[in-house]
Amino acid sequence: MTKKYAFFRGCFVPVRLPHIEAVAQKVFSDMGISLVNLDDFTCCPEPVGVGINDKMTWLSIAARNLAVAEENGLDIITVCNGCTYTLRHASHALNSNKQLRDKVNGIISDTGHAYKGNAKVSHFLEVLMNDIGTRKMKSAVKYPLSKLTIATHTGCHILSPKEIMEFDNPFDPTTLDELVMILGATPADYDKKTLCCGWALMTYGSREGAYALLKDKLGNMKLAQADCLTVVCPQCFYQFDMGQWIASRKDIPQYNLPALFYLQLLGLAMGYNLQEIGYDSHKVKNPEFENKIKMR
Amino acid sequence: MPISLEYKAKNELLQKFPKIETCLKCNTCALVCPVQYAGFSPTNTYVNNIFSSQEPEKNPNIWLCVSCHKCEEICPYEVKPLEVIEALKDEAFEKGYAPEAIREEINQVLTTGYAFPIFQSLHFINRERERRGLKPLGERKVGEIKKIAGKTGLENKMAGWKKK
Repeated sequence: MTKKYAFFRGCFVPVRLPHIEAVAQKVFSDMGISLVNLDDFTCCPEPVGVGINDKMTWLSIAARNLAVAEENGLDIITVCNGCTYTLRHASHALNSNKQLRDKVNGIISDTGHAYKGNAKVSHFLEVLMNDIGTRKMKSAVKYPLSKLTIATHTGCHILSPKEIMEFDNPFDPTTLDELVMILGATPADYDKKTLCCGWALMTYGSREGAYALLKDKLGNMKLAQADCLTVVCPQCFYQFDMGQWIASRKDIPQYNLPALFYLQLLGLAMGYNLQEIGYDSHKVKNPEFENKIKMR
Repeated sequence: MPISLEYKAKNELLQKFPKIETCLKCNTCALVCPVQYAGFSPTNTYVNNIFSSQEPEKNPNIWLCVSCHKCEEICPYEVKPLEVIEALKDEAFEKGYAPEAIREEINQVLTTGYAFPIFQSLHFINRERERRGLKPLGERKVGEIKKIAGKTGLENKMAGWKKK
C-alpha cells in the first residue's frame, strides 16, 4: 500500500521555489510515497519572526495546522527546517504540558479544530531514512554522482535544540553526508560546516554581516574542492543561490558554487535531467558542474 | 568581573535569568555565533554586547540573533544566552520596539496566512507554478487565523501600533 503524508509545503517553497515542490512530488511519488496537499494549512508560523515575539499565537496557529493533518488521518512531511522546528516545538510543548494544551485548544476552539497530538511531524530527510530506507534509495540510484564532491549544509533549525528536534548532532551532523554517499558522491570535508546560512541575519538585521558569512562559508567549501553544495531547507537554498549571486556582484569573490536541494540531487541520481529538477530556475550555475552531471 | 555589575537593568533580568551571573566571558559562544560576522569578534562578543547594554530591550542588536541555539549548546556554564535574547525580543515587541521587518511579517501571517506578501505578484507566481505542472496558489484560511489572533490579543496589539 502506498504510504500517504500530508504535504506541509509552508510558504517559501510553493511561492518562491515551485521547482522544489515539483521535484519533491516527483521523487516521492517515484519512491512510492504519496504527498497530499491540504488546502487548510497556513503558514507554520515562521519561528524567528513570529515565534519568539508572540509565543501563544505561534503555538496556537501551529496547533491548528497539526490538527488539520490529524483530522485527515495523516502524518506531516515538511520540506523546510523552519516548518519542522515550529511544528515539532508545538507538538513537544503541547504533548508535555496538559495545561498548555487545554489553553491552546481553548484559543483555537472557534476555528472548529482541536489538537489531540496524533499527527507526527517528519522532515523529508527522516521520511527518506525511516520510511524508504537506505537500501531502497541505493537501488533507486541508477546514475551515481560519482564525479561530484558535495559540500553538505544541514542548517540550524533541524538540529537544535537537540532534545526537541532529535535529528542529529548539532556540532557534527553526519546524516546528510551519509545520504550524499548513497548517491555515489563524496561529501566535502570543510571548515564551518555547522555555521548558519545567514538568511535570518540578512532578513532581520545585517546584509553586510550575512555577505561576510557567505564569503567565509563558500570559501571553505571551495577550499575543500566542492563542485556544488546541498541543503535541505528553502531559506538556506535561497541564501546560497540568490544570496551568493547578489553578493558575488560586489561583496564576495565569484565562487560559482551551485546550490542544490538534496531532493534535486536524488532526482539526478535517479535519472532525471537538469531541466526536470528545475536547474533552469537557479541563479548560480556552473558549466563544470553541469558537465559532471551530463557525464554521470 | 561578572557582567551583571555593568548591567543597570540587572535586578529584573537577573531575577528571570540568574544564570547570566555565571557567564565568565570565556567567549566560547563567539566561536559558533553567526552574528559575529555583523561586526563582532572574540574580544567584543555579541553576547557580551547584549548582556552589558544599559537598556537591553532597546538594543537594536537583539534582532540580529537568528535563534540557531548554537550558543546554548556550546556554553560550558549553561548560561543559555538565547533564552535571554528571546525574552528581550519578547519584551521589546510588547513595548513596540520591534523593527518594521518583524511587524510586517507578522502582519502578513495574520492577514494572508503566508509569511510574506504574495498577492501583488500572484500572477507571476502562478505562471511559474503552472510551468512546473503545479496547481495555482490561492487564499488561505485567514478567517481562522484572525480568530486565533483575536483571542491571544495579538490582533489588538498590531492595531494599536498602526494607530501610533
